[in-house]
Amino acid sequence: MAVARRPGAAADAVLDAVPPVVFEPASTAEAAEALRECAGEKRAVVFVGGGTELGVGAPPRGLGAVLRTGALSRVVEYAPADQIVTVEAGITLAALQGSLRGHHQRLALDPPRAGEATVGGIVAANSFGPLRTRYGTSRDLIVGVTLVRADGVVARGGGKVVKNVAGFDLPRLMVGSLGTLGLIATATFRLHPLPDESATLLLPGLAAAAVRRLAARLREAQLEPAAVAVVGINPFDAAVRFEGFTASVKAQSERLAAIAGELGAACDRLAPAPAASWWERHDAARSRGAVRLKLAALPSQFETVAREAIGAVATAAAGSEYVGYPTLGLGFVSAPAAGNGLAAAIGAARAALERLGGSLAVHAAPPELRAALDPWGAAPPALALMRSLKAQLDPEARLAPGRQAGGI
Amino acid sequence: MSTRPGTHAAAAGKVTAGVAARMAAIVGARNCISEASELSTYECDGLLAMRVAPGLVVLPGSTEEVAAVVRLAREAGLAIVPRGAGTGLSGGALPVPGCVVVALSRMRRILAVDLENGWMRVEPGIANLDVSKHLAPAGAYYAPDPSSQSICSIGGNVAENSGGAHCLKYGFTTNHVLGVRAVLADGSVADIGGPVLDAPGYDLLAALVGSEGTLAIVTEVVLRILRKPEATRTLFATFPTTDEAGQAVSAIIASGIVPAAIEMMDRLAIVAAKAATGVDWPEVGAALLMDVDGPLAEAEFTVANAERLVRSAGALEVRRPRDEAERALMWKGRKSAFAAVGRISPNYIVQDGVIPRSEIARVLGEVERLATEAGLRVANVFHAGDGNLHPLVLYDGHVAGQQQRAEELAGEILRMCIRYGGSITGEHGVGADKVLYMCDMFGRDDLETMDLVRAAFDPGRLFNPGKLLPTPRLCGERPGPYVPHPAEVAGVAERF
Repeated sequence: MAVARRPGAAADAVLDAVPPVVFEPASTAEAAEALRECAGEKRAVVFVGGGTELGVGAPPRGLGAVLRTGALSRVVEYAPADQIVTVEAGITLAALQGSLRGHHQRLALDPPRAGEATVGGIVAANSFGPLRTRYGTSRDLIVGVTLVRADGVVARGGGKVVKNVAGFDLPRLMVGSLGTLGLIATATFRLHPLPDESATLLLPGLAAAAVRRLAARLREAQLEPAAVAVVGINPFDAAVRFEGFTASVKAQSERLAAIAGELGAACDRLAPAPAASWWERHDAARSRGAVRLKLAALPSQFETVAREAIGAVATAAAGSEYVGYPTLGLGFVSAPAAGNGLAAAIGAARAALERLGGSLAVHAAPPELRAALDPWGAAPPALALMRSLKAQLDPEARLAPGRQAGGI
Repeated sequence: MSTRPGTHAAAAGKVTAGVAARMAAIVGARNCISEASELSTYECDGLLAMRVAPGLVVLPGSTEEVAAVVRLAREAGLAIVPRGAGTGLSGGALPVPGCVVVALSRMRRILAVDLENGWMRVEPGIANLDVSKHLAPAGAYYAPDPSSQSICSIGGNVAENSGGAHCLKYGFTTNHVLGVRAVLADGSVADIGGPVLDAPGYDLLAALVGSEGTLAIVTEVVLRILRKPEATRTLFATFPTTDEAGQAVSAIIASGIVPAAIEMMDRLAIVAAKAATGVDWPEVGAALLMDVDGPLAEAEFTVANAERLVRSAGALEVRRPRDEAERALMWKGRKSAFAAVGRISPNYIVQDGVIPRSEIARVLGEVERLATEAGLRVANVFHAGDGNLHPLVLYDGHVAGQQQRAEELAGEILRMCIRYGGSITGEHGVGADKVLYMCDMFGRDDLETMDLVRAAFDPGRLFNPGKLLPTPRLCGERPGPYVPHPAEVAGVAERF
């Protein structure tokens, strides 16, 4: 059977490169056929979901085809009593959450742009939002995967139960693989109940040292926030969200107020509407900016990160913003455009983070800045092993070649 | 004791006197075992039914020594079987003929602890419980708690992706390992992951954790450490039958509660636990033991809510421990239930399978029907929250034909788990024991893809050949009986 294809258009561009051919399979079988055809025609192929994270990593070295997953948008199986759902990769996060809400459940992932971002793309790009504070990433929630290899072979890993150690963990191996190991055709996830109550508390105007202290005190005080985020550039506004049963949310909110007192900070419990708009502001800051960089270090290193990484970029680019997750040691800096000296500032920020044992990855950049930047920085220490994995699963290096760290 | 042949791959090379001498030079003569009488200690792990004598056992003391051992074994064409504490239940550390067993038991240091950032670096030979004991004064702990945690090693936990009763809320080993230092099949040393999250590149840890010693030898592990929850509340409830207990589990989960642990025992298991530990449990059809934890207000609210739910599901009696001692006794009763089954049956086979949680009542009914047809009894103790069954098939090896019927029944239960959309193993691993069932659970293309992952790490199939992934030749063979581990018989360790 031949699978439908069409010529690429401007809307199909991957980092400004327009593919000659676009596939839009509507089933795993069609996706497999499309990849077999790509194999036969020696086409390099990039998988595109919502296209929200195409800027992560390096531009692919070749682009013979784009495979769009938008028509793979079904909920394959939903077992509310088991809190397990299997979906096709192209379903948007918002559509999935919508179909879970009736059973008072959710997939505990909240990357920005949920209306566009697809589940497969979220797994492949390891996208996350503030809920990572409590629930981790898709790595902690995925339990099964169907993938289509570069040669068109369809393979399953994991299953549809949470606890399962049979065979290698292919589902987790796909997390963050950026479409370079295989197409995620379906994914199965563990779900969580929607919380009865949610409270967001705002601690405005924290210096970097207070942000670090907040993260440490939350841990020491045995609080279990669902989300902790900061927005701003020294000082930072911190938001802490508690979710769960009403009694627990109330008690934890009161305890946080005491911690804020120790830090000399105000602590305002936001009413529902201002709370929602604070998190919308957070999401917008995560999505904005011609330049977006992901920063990783240890939570205790935040003062150094603020000074030498966030500060370096902000000094070079007016209008920069930072959104971070202080209990995780992760954050994103964005800048509206690539100004003079930005590449050098990013280099300095990266050097500072790598000295700390961390990293700086490019998630978005205009072409001229990209040309001056390494998207990933220092080669991963296990690069040879990563190359070997790629060579086994995609021996002709046709899946988003060069996009992954180390030029894989 | 009955033994059955290991379902190993073809033996590789043979340990010559020259190789043994060179190995001894690497690790020191007293850490190199080549005498047949001493090698017998290492001829099996917790799966005693399968035994194979290794060619040589080495106990290296450092990453460099492990790397040198691997390089020499590779040069000599010898298979390598890594080994932790030897408590595994699937034959993951079963030697292959003529292999070198690399036992990590001497490497048990704690190398670094960072409480503020929530991680520590340890060597793989350290016992799981010793990690948490070390952290206890600081109010921190390592979450995965396999029931053998007093003796099983962190390295073995990494190999098996070990779980435990409390993984329902906190996840498995794979959710708590941030990085490793590993010796690869070419003898090189790789650092994978680390305390800082989201290192660029592939998530190789995902492949490594749970790889059962087939990909690399881990010589250092970076563990995520958690602050202890502020409060834990425990609830014990009895029911007329497993039907009501299963409904209670469903009601608790449906209410939005995420218990730290929720365990079920049926009548036979309760009888056995009472005989072994003296807990004053009534001999009812089923019992649940549940922990909830978190901030005090959360734990108090949740346990009260859960009590209401189990009562309306038909609980006969609900108990809350008065103090930590009573709580510990409840958990001791639960954790010793399996070893205790030895008191009500001369022999038994332990099974480890997973089903969707909502199917518990139906599956237990089917297990009972299968047991009745086979003329055997099955005791059930399991992690109800995640549908991880541990049926114990009881039999008397002195009665002609019973052992074989028990083996067939245990296998039939696994195939039933697959039919219900579950798994052939929730926490014990595939190892040598269940390698044949991989063909039932996965298709050819699935297994081939996993084999590509293996080839990426170990193209020569040097590490633990014949484990985890079946060769087509092996599909169709059938597994055998359970024999208790000596540590279990001695009461040193519990099985689950």
